Amino acid sequence: MADSKITIALAGNPNSGKTTLFNSLTGSNQFVGNWPGVTVEKKEGKLKGNKDVLIEDLPGIYSLSPYTSEEVVSRNFLVDENPDAILNIVDSTNLERNLYLTTQLLELGIPTVIALNMTDLVEKSGDNIDTKKLSERLGVQMAEISALKGTGIDEASKLAVNAAQSKKAPKPAVFSKDVEDALREIEGLLVNVPEHLKRWYAVKLFERDQKLPENIAAYASQAEAIITKIETAHDDDSESIITNERYEYIASVLNGCYGKKKAGELSTSDKIDQIVTNRWLALPIFAAVMWLVYYISVTTIGTFVTDWTNDGLFGDGYYLFGNGRAEYTEAMNEYYTENVWTDEVKANVDKAVEAGITGADDIQAAIADGDYEAFDEAYGFYGSELDEKENGVYSISDTVDTALAEDAPLPANEDYGKWVPGIPVLVENLLDGMGVNDFIKSLVLDGIVAGVGAVLGFVPQMFVLFAFLAFLEACGYMARVAFVMDRIFRRFGLSGKSFIPVLIGTGCGVPGVMASRTIENERDRRMTVMTTTFIPCGAKLPIIALIASALFRKASWVAPSAYFLGMAAIIISGIILKKTKMFAGEPAPFVMELPAYHWPTLTNILRSMWERGWSFIKKAGSIILLSSIVIWLGSTFGWTDGSFGWNPDLELESSVLGAIGNAVKWIFAPLGFAEIKATIATVMGLVAKEEVVGVFGVLDFEGLSKLAGYSFLAFNLLCAPCFAAIGAIRREMNSAKWTWFAIGWQCLLAYIAAFIIYQLGSLFTGTGNIIGGILAIALCALIIWLMVRPYNESQTAKA
Amino acid sequence: MPLAIADQGKEYTIRKIGGNAETRQHLADLGFTAGAVVSVVNEAAGNLIVNIRNTRVGIGKDLAMKIMI
Repeated sequence: MADSKITIALAGNPNSGKTTLFNSLTGSNQFVGNWPGVTVEKKEGKLKGNKDVLIEDLPGIYSLSPYTSEEVVSRNFLVDENPDAILNIVDSTNLERNLYLTTQLLELGIPTVIALNMTDLVEKSGDNIDTKKLSERLGVQMAEISALKGTGIDEASKLAVNAAQSKKAPKPAVFSKDVEDALREIEGLLVNVPEHLKRWYAVKLFERDQKLPENIAAYASQAEAIITKIETAHDDDSESIITNERYEYIASVLNGCYGKKKAGELSTSDKIDQIVTNRWLALPIFAAVMWLVYYISVTTIGTFVTDWTNDGLFGDGYYLFGNGRAEYTEAMNEYYTENVWTDEVKANVDKAVEAGITGADDIQAAIADGDYEAFDEAYGFYGSELDEKENGVYSISDTVDTALAEDAPLPANEDYGKWVPGIPVLVENLLDGMGVNDFIKSLVLDGIVAGVGAVLGFVPQMFVLFAFLAFLEACGYMARVAFVMDRIFRRFGLSGKSFIPVLIGTGCGVPGVMASRTIENERDRRMTVMTTTFIPCGAKLPIIALIASALFRKASWVAPSAYFLGMAAIIISGIILKKTKMFAGEPAPFVMELPAYHWPTLTNILRSMWERGWSFIKKAGSIILLSSIVIWLGSTFGWTDGSFGWNPDLELESSVLGAIGNAVKWIFAPLGFAEIKATIATVMGLVAKEEVVGVFGVLDFEGLSKLAGYSFLAFNLLCAPCFAAIGAIRREMNSAKWTWFAIGWQCLLAYIAAFIIYQLGSLFTGTGNIIGGILAIALCALIIWLMVRPYNESQTAKA
Repeated sequence: MPLAIADQGKEYTIRKIGGNAETRQHLADLGFTAGAVVSVVNEAAGNLIVNIRNTRVGIGKDLAMKIMI
């Protein structure tokens, strides 16, 4: 912000507590964006209690070397923007490695203050740090803080502001005498370089850094003689000399200020790791943890809140704090027993059960239980099934419809407690009050509120899931998952780090794709971005549930098979793509810090949950809102008795949307679902996967066989994700070409998978045709060949 | 010998680190330099958890082959 007078850069290692410190320094005054040109997150915020100070949160880095985009972003900021001060957070349980970054920061000639984090933990473990001595030796002011407990933070920020105002930068002599002399000699060469940056550029020239600005790189040839002299004397390359001397310097500084208890003892964290990353136990433990996470977020809390959102907030309404819900349910059950479940209805249902009509047993069970909600659900699903069979002899719809008609004396919600009407009801009342015409009313209610509401219904479930994932990330377990999965993923050409995006992608593909940022290697990252959305996300769950209940009578294998399909698509893609020229080369070697296990703070978890969830809500508010309106227009404009116009009660088949579906449905003929609704549903799935469900009522699947239904499911799970996720892919790929390639790959793979499932399945059930069967077998053979053929790189030099 | 075949729980001193410049620098940033003391805390099918400068780092077998102790 230009109006701030002081800029303080917050720098530190990953897992050093930087995020927590940043949150306590700035509170809610944060702005999140991206660093220009790269997909590294940029966060800034105003210091709490002092609006003149802007805190710039640099990415968590181990060094200022030019190898990762985080490091380049950080050093460019520090060199080009020249902040007034650096607040360097140092994890005192890992002093050596954290101070390694510090020695580099001190070269930039910027006033620097150290926030020594977690000193309480060091003391607890029996070690001790002499902060005063350490501060004197480094020549840097220090504040002991606990980011977790929020202590010492005011002091740290005060020191940083003072340092910024003093404009005095500490200048420790880090290197041995001959290296220091060489650096000074190189400094002497530099003209037209700001005084405070001379040391920094001298060190970088000495290291033969490849990412220097042109005017500095021009000195490289002059410096070469000086560098070679030192290299010969030390018998090492210049970069290693600098690195080693930094660590030597740190060791000398720490000598006498840092008393360490006996080394080699296993910490609690190590003991946990011996179980959690154990060769045999690692995978079962991981499976158990994920099962628990999903069980809680999808089937319990998630469903409860999602039901409330769908049926209450975006439905008819809800009881405040649930008061009155039980009384109302009882009244409704009584009403149904008296008026709906007449002897005639019961007799018809019994007959239908005997005749074996689909779903009749569900209706019968609901009546037997006296449960009106279960009855409504079963009747909604299967009621028309009873009407249609045997010319309606089992029909119960006349009785039910009369008893539930609008003017029937149904118990009123308002009589049983504090009833809060849902948003659609409120909006409808508001629109009625304003006296708007039917067109506007339908646009707002059926288009906007219904469309966006359907999507927002998944938000609570997603928030719960994100909270759990944030917990797993913050406590340190996620890093172990990457470590454990690496040995499996490596066989498929992916790194263990690719597994974290996939895991987050089970909640929502957008943050999943964004989580690929932690993968340093560009090839690995691209491949992860391309394959992450194969895993069923939260919004694909309703499609799975729909197909499972409509065609497979809620068979319990359908949902796991969807995850299996997603994993298989990721693995097959990994193997095949790795053998193409574009992705040739080993995945980058796995090396990753495994932070000590710790309890994360509630604020951090909630913040992470909110950031991911909010980005989804924003999508719902923009892309999905717009698409909902387009779909509404497409489904309400059409042909009524031959004339084109607007008609809110249009059948889907005679609408513009239906016409489009009809025109392109042939594409899906080889997959078994060349049907208008299935086609439209698939297209709408591009907007948001849960829209697929919106198109279908359960019995609309009458035209589809089980096989075609599963093929439809497979295609919709694997094909291009929703617009929001495509947008995320576009941002992470940072290239239109790669985005199209990713989408093309996903659609192609989905088509082939659905084709093989349908054609081979038909062949086995004896309904298939020969050409399709042969083609499917040929495709299988092609895939197997693509998977087993030798690696491209084996012919050339290893990358 | 390479770190990949080190005994669990024993302390070793790193003598040399191989691999390309980028890999070496990345390892150095995490604390793997010649002279540093390293020990293997846990092993999971070749991938190692090592203690380097009092931090735990997960490291792949291929990389552990390039760190000579």
